[in-house]
Amino acid sequence: MFPKLDPILHSELRLAVMSVLSDVESADFTYLKTQTEATSGNLSVQIDKLSAAGYITVEKGFKGRMPCTTCKITEKGLEAFRQYVEALRTYLK
Amino acid sequence: MEQNNELSARQSLDLITETLNRSRKEITRVNGKYFILWGILMTVFSLVICYFWKISGKAQWNILWFAMPLVGYPFVYHMSKKDEKLPSNLVTKIIKGIWTLYGIFACSMATVCMVIASTFTETSSMGVTPALVLLFGIAESISGIVLKNWFIIIGGWIIGIGGVIIYYLSDVNAEQMLIFAFAGIILALTGVIVKRQNI
Repeated sequence: MFPKLDPILHSELRLAVMSVLSDVESADFTYLKTQTEATSGNLSVQIDKLSAAGYITVEKGFKGRMPCTTCKITEKGLEAFRQYVEALRTYLK
Repeated sequence: MEQNNELSARQSLDLITETLNRSRKEITRVNGKYFILWGILMTVFSLVICYFWKISGKAQWNILWFAMPLVGYPFVYHMSKKDEKLPSNLVTKIIKGIWTLYGIFACSMATVCMVIASTFTETSSMGVTPALVLLFGIAESISGIVLKNWFIIIGGWIIGIGGVIIYYLSDVNAEQMLIFAFAGIILALTGVIVKRQNI
């Protein structure tokens, strides 16, 4: 019996965002946009979904005069990501 | 369905691997310029000190080493402003930690040795070159391990061990600065590798 894949993570863009955030302390919106090659609107929606699930925290602030959105993976998000990868591996066995 | 699941799982794992690698490469690559900066500064300072030491015959010119951070850090500040949007990861944190510690150890050791040499009359000078070169080699090799690059690991070993051997086997004075000049070139080359390598 295959384990069920987390529907929050089983989306290309959300998974890419979580992959980037799993390796860094925190990342701002521009960096995530560059790394995922997503549009601002789509990325914003997916970030909100990850945030609502408690997988990431989103902090809105300013860097100088420019608005800046910083995302950080939570313990819950990291654990969900780890379990998701484990589940994927069982599919490939 | 089963085939679809397997494909989907493989695609998801590939996506994770690709995204992680791309992000890591981007973050690490940017740090190469700091290696190049400190490498160039180290080479220039060692050659300048070597020249003045040689023409004056005074080892006191080594005090110029303390000016190196004063010259280097404004550049680091200016360069890092451009990287504000780039996050840090474990690799960059370890590399930063290694070289910050090396800087602290080198400055502390040089200061302590200067104080001892000027306080105790029976000790006219204390050679810190072997210890600093060895520490430099260790820092370089550990950086190579973190960056998974054999050239950097071996380069660190050659500088550390080779530098100490050259120091003890040859009757050198001002020329010992050339060991640091060589170390600076290796450090700058490390930066070029970091900027170019695909981790």
